[in-house]
Amino acid sequence: MSERRGLALLLAPYLLGLTVLIALPALVTFGLALFEYDLITSPEWAGLANFRELWGDDIFRRSIRNSLMFIAAAVPLRLLGALLLALLLHRQFRGVSAYRTAAYLPTVIPDVAFALLMLWVFNPLYGPLNIALDAAGAPTPQWLTDPHDARWAIVLMSLFQIGEGFIVALAVRQSLPGDLYELAEIEGAHAGYLFARVTLPLMAPALLLLLFRDTIFSFQANFVPALLIFDGGPPPYATTYLPLFVYTNAFEYLRYGYAATATLVMFGITAAIVLAQWRILRRWRVASSAA
Amino acid sequence: MAGLQLVGVEKTFGEVQILRGLDLEVEEGELLVVLGPSGSGKSTTLRIAAGLEEPSAGTVHIGGRDVTHVPASRRNVAMVFQSFALFPHFDAARNIGFGLSARGVKRDDVDRRVQAAAELVGVGDLLHRRPHELSGGERQGVALARALAREPEVFLLDEPLSNLDAQLRTRTRAELKRLHGELGRTMVYVTHDQVEALTLGDRIAVLERGLAAQVGTPDDVYRRPADRFVASFVGSPTMNFLPPDAAARFGLGGDGEIGVRPEHVRLGEGEVEGEVVIVEPAGSEAFVHVDAGGPWLVARVQPEELPEVGRRVRIGIRPGDAHRFDAEGKRITGHQ
Repeated sequence: MSERRGLALLLAPYLLGLTVLIALPALVTFGLALFEYDLITSPEWAGLANFRELWGDDIFRRSIRNSLMFIAAAVPLRLLGALLLALLLHRQFRGVSAYRTAAYLPTVIPDVAFALLMLWVFNPLYGPLNIALDAAGAPTPQWLTDPHDARWAIVLMSLFQIGEGFIVALAVRQSLPGDLYELAEIEGAHAGYLFARVTLPLMAPALLLLLFRDTIFSFQANFVPALLIFDGGPPPYATTYLPLFVYTNAFEYLRYGYAATATLVMFGITAAIVLAQWRILRRWRVASSAA
Repeated sequence: MAGLQLVGVEKTFGEVQILRGLDLEVEEGELLVVLGPSGSGKSTTLRIAAGLEEPSAGTVHIGGRDVTHVPASRRNVAMVFQSFALFPHFDAARNIGFGLSARGVKRDDVDRRVQAAAELVGVGDLLHRRPHELSGGERQGVALARALAREPEVFLLDEPLSNLDAQLRTRTRAELKRLHGELGRTMVYVTHDQVEALTLGDRIAVLERGLAAQVGTPDDVYRRPADRFVASFVGSPTMNFLPPDAAARFGLGGDGEIGVRPEHVRLGEGEVEGEVVIVEPAGSEAFVHVDAGGPWLVARVQPEELPEVGRRVRIGIRPGDAHRFDAEGKRITGHQ
């Protein structure tokens, strides 16, 4: 068997899965957005009616606003968390493997188990978070009942599941040549200068990739906790994010065409945000490299 | 300007002792080459002098000041790394001015000193290029200019030519020598390349397993090696060694091993005969390996005197050319 053929054979299962599970449903979604379909009766041509309805849907607007607010708060914090953990744990010291494992572990916990665990953590009466806050004399938010606090609870939850970003940032930090840092030590660069002028710019390409990836990921990441812990509430729709809106319309109201339309809009918003980030950061990189 | 002293320096990593009480003194304005094989402790010596490693025991002095526990940034030394350690996202100018900017020197002063240092090493026209746009020699120049720009008291160079090709290495070696002559700064130059050591150094410190086997001028180290290790490590091809019984056949009887440099193995002289087994032409000189019925001897000859393989030749060693080593390997007598 030729090498090319062997490689193609190895790639085949992945390509098959990609086609059947991702590419085809994505194509179907494009078509479905133009129909009204409830899985029981035949699809009914709707043209752009779903888009028009979506435009006037107040719950949809709320879910977009919730999703954008979540991304604005969670993505920078998640990225910062991954970077700080990588900077803290890139050196070799006693017990570092245990710390790295602890940083990664919440990411591999199944979403449902994690959500149930956090339901206990956020409990206003016996949850450890509010007990600790109370002991420290800090205000105790009503995580499960107050709309504002509930949104922050979801952001807080997402900050524990940054293992993948942490691993990438750790690998990138470890790949930076040690002699650059030794040289900087001899040349008298203090830690802040070194971070701003050397570490951050050298890690920037990977951090940018993480930023794009996390933006895309964050649109979907809050689905399970929003559904299991808050069921889209507390009222009025405080944690109804775009994925939950799509889910509710598709599987509770059996409006597959409408859900497909919302999915396309979600896809469009994600692409627009990533494109905007890319353009801004490209300008920033050009400016900073010329300085 | 200042000298550098290492007094009784020891360094242990876990179970492994790298330096075992090393004493080294570099005079003000001197270029000392630290020469040794892999694992002899030469890079560790340099890193301890730079402040990148703390010695397990002993002290480090720069300009008479004890700097053993002084951080690297406050020792006023500069280091040129084997890899050049250039920041890939900076152009040459920012690389050269890195230390000055990091220490808060004003932008105008940084620019002026960067330009002056770059001119001195011949990279003045390349200041806007990034490392990936520079050749190996140019990168080396930028690394050197960076060391010069801060005007440190001591320069520490860790095998700075080993990443260059042979031709460039020879040219840069001469350039470094010129630069040292011009600046008259204290320099410590680590290498495993004896040609670099012999051509560059005011003095050479030959390291063997964490101790200085010999510190002396290149002439001392080559002509009057302190022991068998130095004699065998310095010189290419390496010195020929003859056990006492084999040496007696050449009229060099007595106790101890005899060492003789290839240029002192004389073909066509003496009573001992041997067979030519290998000939190695090397341009301006040639090497002949002769089986003299005991250890093989290597002779350095003129290319036009090259015998054929298989031919029998007479081999002679003049008593004045031989070095005699005692049972511990110390040199007792020998070629002056």
